[in-house]
Amino acid sequence: MDIFTNVALGFSVALRPENLLFCFLGSLVGTLVGVLPGLGPVGAVAFLLSLTFKMEPASAIIMLAGIYYGAMYGGSTTSILVNIPGETASVVTCLDGYRMARQGRAGAALGISAFGSFIAGTFGVVGLMFLAPVLGRAALSFGPPEYFALTLAGLTLVSYLTQGSMVKALIMAILGLLAGTVGMDPISGEERFTYGTLTLRDGFGLVPVAMGLFGIAEVLENLAVLSTQSVYQTKIHGLLPNRKDWRDSAAPIARGSALGFFLGILPGPGPVIASFVSYAMEKRLSRYPEKFGTGVIEGVAGPEAANNSATAGSFIPLLSLGIPTSAIMALFMGALMIHGIQPGPLFISKYPELFWGFIASMYVGNAMLLVLNLPLIGIWVRLLKTPYVILFPLILLFCLIGVYSLNANVTEIIIMLAFGIIGFFMRRVGFEGAPFILAMVLGPIMETSLRQSLLISRGNFMIFVNRPICAVLIVVTAAFLIWPIFMRKRKDD
Amino acid sequence: MRRANITVALALVSASAFLLFEAGRFNFGTLRVPQTGFFPKTLVTLLLLLSLVLLVQALRRKETERGSEKIAADGWTRIAATLATMIGFALVLEWLGFLLSTFVLMVLLLRAIEAPRWSKVFTVALVTALAVYGLFAWLLSVPLPAGVLGF
Repeated sequence: MDIFTNVALGFSVALRPENLLFCFLGSLVGTLVGVLPGLGPVGAVAFLLSLTFKMEPASAIIMLAGIYYGAMYGGSTTSILVNIPGETASVVTCLDGYRMARQGRAGAALGISAFGSFIAGTFGVVGLMFLAPVLGRAALSFGPPEYFALTLAGLTLVSYLTQGSMVKALIMAILGLLAGTVGMDPISGEERFTYGTLTLRDGFGLVPVAMGLFGIAEVLENLAVLSTQSVYQTKIHGLLPNRKDWRDSAAPIARGSALGFFLGILPGPGPVIASFVSYAMEKRLSRYPEKFGTGVIEGVAGPEAANNSATAGSFIPLLSLGIPTSAIMALFMGALMIHGIQPGPLFISKYPELFWGFIASMYVGNAMLLVLNLPLIGIWVRLLKTPYVILFPLILLFCLIGVYSLNANVTEIIIMLAFGIIGFFMRRVGFEGAPFILAMVLGPIMETSLRQSLLISRGNFMIFVNRPICAVLIVVTAAFLIWPIFMRKRKDD
Repeated sequence: MRRANITVALALVSASAFLLFEAGRFNFGTLRVPQTGFFPKTLVTLLLLLSLVLLVQALRRKETERGSEKIAADGWTRIAATLATMIGFALVLEWLGFLLSTFVLMVLLLRAIEAPRWSKVFTVALVTALAVYGLFAWLLSVPLPAGVLGF
């Protein structure tokens, strides 16, 4: 099948009424999550995961993806208007976006960030469409050693990229891998660390752990130190950027799209890193770098484009290799596996409807967001004023019911709360949740591939260096582990 | 932050010692034929090593970095109250039924930060409980517990 037949197939799936509805709901909820501080996209996807169990797999992934890229859109709105980033990928947008709003140019900032996001999102989706099948075909020749090296490299990179101490990030990754060993041994079926608990026989559930670490812990942190922020009162007029704005933004959007896409493919919080790198790059390339931070439109256009195309890029390793590269991708993997679908090299050829439908829905979703975001900005701003007193009980209630609805099992609520408490305290001493959750999901893949590799090689570790792809990955991993020791660049927290 | 780091490192060292003991019951196998204990034991050993590195780092470093914002007493009260409410919810949910437990949960949580008027608290709690029930039980047909009172 050539690409046009595929795309046509995709749109026939994405444009089904129910999928259009789920795409719309996803983008709407995503924007909401992006707008409201105190709940990030990971928490939102975690608690909506339970709602998708009864849906068709295509509808489920379409809706969850909508939440993810919707949050990227929504996050920038609050960055620009209130100087509060709704989520981490729009932290940079505050720098110049908020300044622009203070100068009465909120409309232009919001407009360029929406259009930039749309253009970059589309670019990212096109990239995903061409690259994922190619990579998937290449991955068909992968054996256990490659998969082990891949998971190892992924985890190391994520730990390297996590803010703060690398030792702490690695500890979190190992704790996550250990959490992944709870339950039945994937090869022999022997039980480990279950202590006779029935709930733990299949291991820790992804949803309770993710909701605890990202939902509950975040709420606890907000409760610890209450902050009051006032919404900057301004009339938003003229959402359309003018001709000069476009001229200034065209190149940053183009560069941001390309940069974001490639950074998105790499393990780690792609959108976050992409936005920072794009800002730094635009500042360096600019003829007036000293003006950055005072409200220049390039500082909004570039990062906003970058974080959106990174969102699309980050789906590539999951869909073509079956390896999630960030906490949120781990949840997507969970969503697919619940429907009995194993993402990986065979995914695209085995489920063409699902893959192409998902791709097409991202086009549709990006267009919806453009239409949705600009006229509705007034509503989002009003929502921002929802007092936290009302907001946080609702978030907690949804977490509680969401987890319970999975298996009607109270033990899972307790597991979620326990991870919420652990996550809260760990965060306070500089341990991040992302490496943990990723490691927990990758754990079984890593263990199985490592043990199979050793069985193949009869206990000879040279199997990981004798195979070219493997060797490259191992060298990369080693470099990222050794680099910080020599450079001393990264301070320990 | 220095003290916090030392405490955490010590906690992690003892946790890995405990896990090393716990993982002891699984068969390691050999490198040729790795068994159930192979992966956990390797991980726990790595954990122990990294925790020791963390400990050494924490001991050698002077107090330079700023820790996270200090939590005031009322912050801790809010956290404790919220957690207690949620644990209570988990314990009574199947006995009291969804609607009633949710109503009580919302009433308590709504008053955790400040004390709005009771009429407001009750209205919000009631509307939320009914709306969420409608969403889950009817729209998504998720079975929710009925409880002793039959609803």
